[in-house]
Amino acid sequence: MNIAFNGEHLLPGHLGQFFIVLAFGSALLSCISYYFATTSTDKFDKSWHNLGRIGFYANTVSVVGIGVCLFYIIFNHLFEYYYAWEHSSRALPVYYIVSCFWEGQEGSFWLWAFWQAVLGNILVWRAKSWEKPVMTVLMLAQTLLASMLLGVEIFGYRIGTSPFILLREALNLKESTPIFNSNPEYYKNYLKYVTDGNGLNPLLQNYWMVIHPPTLFLGFASMVVPFSYAIAGLWQKRYKEWIQPAISYSLFAVMVLGTGIIMGSFWAYESLTFGGFWAWDPVENASLIPWLVLVGALHVMIVYKNTGHSYITATILVLTSFILVLYASFLTRSGILGDSSVHAFTDAGMFWHLVADVVLFLILSISLLAIRWKELPTTTKDEETYSREFWMFVGAIFLALSCFHLVIVTSIPVWNAMFGTKIAPPTDPIRHYNIIQASFAVVITFLTGFTQFMKYKKTDVTRFFITTLIYLVFAALITALVIYVTGVYKLHLVFILIMVGAIYSILANAKIFAEALKGKVKLAGSAVAHIGFGLIMVGALISAGTSKVISQNTTGEQYNADFVAAKNDPRENILMYKNTPVKMGKYTVTYIGDSVSAPNHYFKVDYKVIDTVTGKTTEEFVLRPNSQANRKMGLVSSPDTKHYLFSDLYTHVNMTNVLTADDDAQAAGHDEADDATKYDPPVVYTLAIGDTIPFREGYALLKSVSKVDHIQNIPLASDDVAIGANLQVVSHGKTYDAQPIYIIKNGGVYDFPHKIDELGLKFRFSKVIPAKNKFEITFFQQPESQRKYIVMRAIQFPYINFLWSGTIIMVIGILLSIFRRNKELKTV
Amino acid sequence: MKKSSIFGLVVIAIAIAVIISVYSNSSTYGTFNDAKQTNGELHIVGHLDKKKELFYDATKNANYFSFYMTDNKGAECKIVFPGTKPQDFERSEQIVLTGQMLGKEFHASSILMKCPSKYTNDKVETTEFKAKQASI
Repeated sequence: MNIAFNGEHLLPGHLGQFFIVLAFGSALLSCISYYFATTSTDKFDKSWHNLGRIGFYANTVSVVGIGVCLFYIIFNHLFEYYYAWEHSSRALPVYYIVSCFWEGQEGSFWLWAFWQAVLGNILVWRAKSWEKPVMTVLMLAQTLLASMLLGVEIFGYRIGTSPFILLREALNLKESTPIFNSNPEYYKNYLKYVTDGNGLNPLLQNYWMVIHPPTLFLGFASMVVPFSYAIAGLWQKRYKEWIQPAISYSLFAVMVLGTGIIMGSFWAYESLTFGGFWAWDPVENASLIPWLVLVGALHVMIVYKNTGHSYITATILVLTSFILVLYASFLTRSGILGDSSVHAFTDAGMFWHLVADVVLFLILSISLLAIRWKELPTTTKDEETYSREFWMFVGAIFLALSCFHLVIVTSIPVWNAMFGTKIAPPTDPIRHYNIIQASFAVVITFLTGFTQFMKYKKTDVTRFFITTLIYLVFAALITALVIYVTGVYKLHLVFILIMVGAIYSILANAKIFAEALKGKVKLAGSAVAHIGFGLIMVGALISAGTSKVISQNTTGEQYNADFVAAKNDPRENILMYKNTPVKMGKYTVTYIGDSVSAPNHYFKVDYKVIDTVTGKTTEEFVLRPNSQANRKMGLVSSPDTKHYLFSDLYTHVNMTNVLTADDDAQAAGHDEADDATKYDPPVVYTLAIGDTIPFREGYALLKSVSKVDHIQNIPLASDDVAIGANLQVVSHGKTYDAQPIYIIKNGGVYDFPHKIDELGLKFRFSKVIPAKNKFEITFFQQPESQRKYIVMRAIQFPYINFLWSGTIIMVIGILLSIFRRNKELKTV
Repeated sequence: MKKSSIFGLVVIAIAIAVIISVYSNSSTYGTFNDAKQTNGELHIVGHLDKKKELFYDATKNANYFSFYMTDNKGAECKIVFPGTKPQDFERSEQIVLTGQMLGKEFHASSILMKCPSKYTNDKVETTEFKAKQASI
């Protein structure tokens, strides 16, 4: 029986689904056509070639079509679609609607396919004689990507997941919700009850999330191009020619993926609360793995181009880099990392589909290599020990080894699944990764340094040693200074060695850059990129190695026996009551208030530097870390950071009693009823004018007592008496006024208390004792726990700007190299 | 011997060293019973005992959080975590702890938790239900 549902917009979904099927079909057609166009021996028969292009253009159009339909659905809040309901909500601003796109697996697959289509267009335009074989491989990758979006059931196994699935189908609304099951009328009109979507994860509501995923996926997508060239080279036996054009594309991929990774770490630093820019999370590693291999591949490709050495290494590394992209997407999307990563997607039923994707391209690469193995150009002569090519080759191998280590550790859940073992990741993974990866980094930084003093083929050995040594001595001296100033010398030896290596690399490349300015312009790109890389190392090392938690809980009095027993005690979180200053390092920090800009709740944290001698405030700023009470995820916090030129001060709120996840609809309002329970038992004071009431955080002074003419909406008759006690309340240097009122009206005695919510105080003017000229004030104070507080953590990251500026410099360097390589390129 | 063969051997040696160091650094998934028998740190998978007390009072100590967890073998243990209570902890379905036993308590150095609302759909329905009742 078909039910006619009211209010659904089925057209965009049908259209989108049509585009998905078309994208899949056209990609497959294009792949097959390009294949026959490549193998066809008839040079004048253009039909396969044309068909391949038609298929490709159809694919581009349908991929764009999918995007438009999905955007239409999210933009118009069509919550009958699961994707819109799951990832967006009405309250989202337009620019975050873009982020909704890639919160789900389907959207990120689409993004990937979109970039591949764009790159395909560039190749069709520029690749010339390479178009047919290269596009065959690229369209094969595109076919597989489109299949991930199909969401069609074949033989009871669902292939891919479509973003156009309907909410009622995805959730099986009828069976999961009793009321829809019992009443068909409700079910027919279910859309009336689905008023809003789940909304976007608050952590993704960040401007970096608008640009980081597209950059990252452009990086992933562009890695298919060198791979396609490598396969095409092997297939068409154009062994030597493919490397040249592939170098430019590899440079592009290295640049974009590198930028994407750093953007991700910047986002993590700016808006996640793990307190750093890199945590070796499997998801982060998954994006780093292919990058490392491609950087290695790039270097040996350049070696091959210049000397004819390392052909096989270059080919294998290029092939591996793309397979690792697919492997990374398997790791993050199959749900296999469930126990070891917080960020990975869960299995959307595509486990074997993703495995098949990796295996297909792996078999393709291995078998082609095996078939062509004997024909591959090799050199019988060994490289010279003092030659640039030899050490570039060594560097590439070390990059691959560093990647090998990441793969081994990140894949522990995979080994468990394969061999039925129960190995757990290292208990202190960050330390483990840091030490081992740092060892590789030492080798690589030194190599990027001294290889600059070598020449291809043959180097003058004595001159080489003299220059190397001079620079090494300089680097050591500068390092000694740097580590003394920054405190890096307290770290593990291997980190100090990286420092020497990185500084050495910067110096050596600065020399090359200086020569480039004098005329050898060709060398500028690599020199600049290496300087950038060195700065990244320096920045990462200092800021991660010497970051200091300044919110240390040093009072000690709050620790119970239980806690003292815990030996690894970070004590990194500190409790701050509103308006109560806490000393942290050189700062006097106060939680001074809140501001709300829905859906975010900002905590104003005031930092002051007070000169101990003069008592004057020399610096003051307010940080606004925020929290969002999210219906779906509870309280989600984002940090705020004060950026100085040479250090950052990072602050985030872990916990608060100011807002809870349940009351995001209504914050304050209802209190009177539970007033009695909110305060400590009252204390009664009998005061004369000028007497004070001391309390926990200040005092209240009875200044005067005066007659009150009118009280809000209570009419006062002539024989009624209303007097107010004028209290001056001083707490932490701030002054408040309170005026509780005492009334005799129609013979009865009443009083109106006065509350100071900010301090959690309440005053009642409870009695007048005319004989002694004294007044009775009943004083209420909220217990410590009722007062508003935040629990926060503050970390200082010194010199982190080296990391970010190093990235920008590296990107500029790679861009220069791309221009240079493109100039050299004469494609036929 | 050719230089490339020597280099090849070095690479293989490093690769083996890497595997060994990963293996020796890796820990195991275990139970509270295993934890009582070893001195080292290990991972324990289990779920929160929602009937017992979750203790976190920032006003007393912002870095002390304790709760009870049942491991996959059904054994229960008090857990102490030196930090703030993770957001939404009550809703967690599965917890992976890293840490070791100290006396009768398990001291966790890290907590990785999974919330059902993010991963399955049935839970989300109830929130949907609220919206519905409001509009009738």
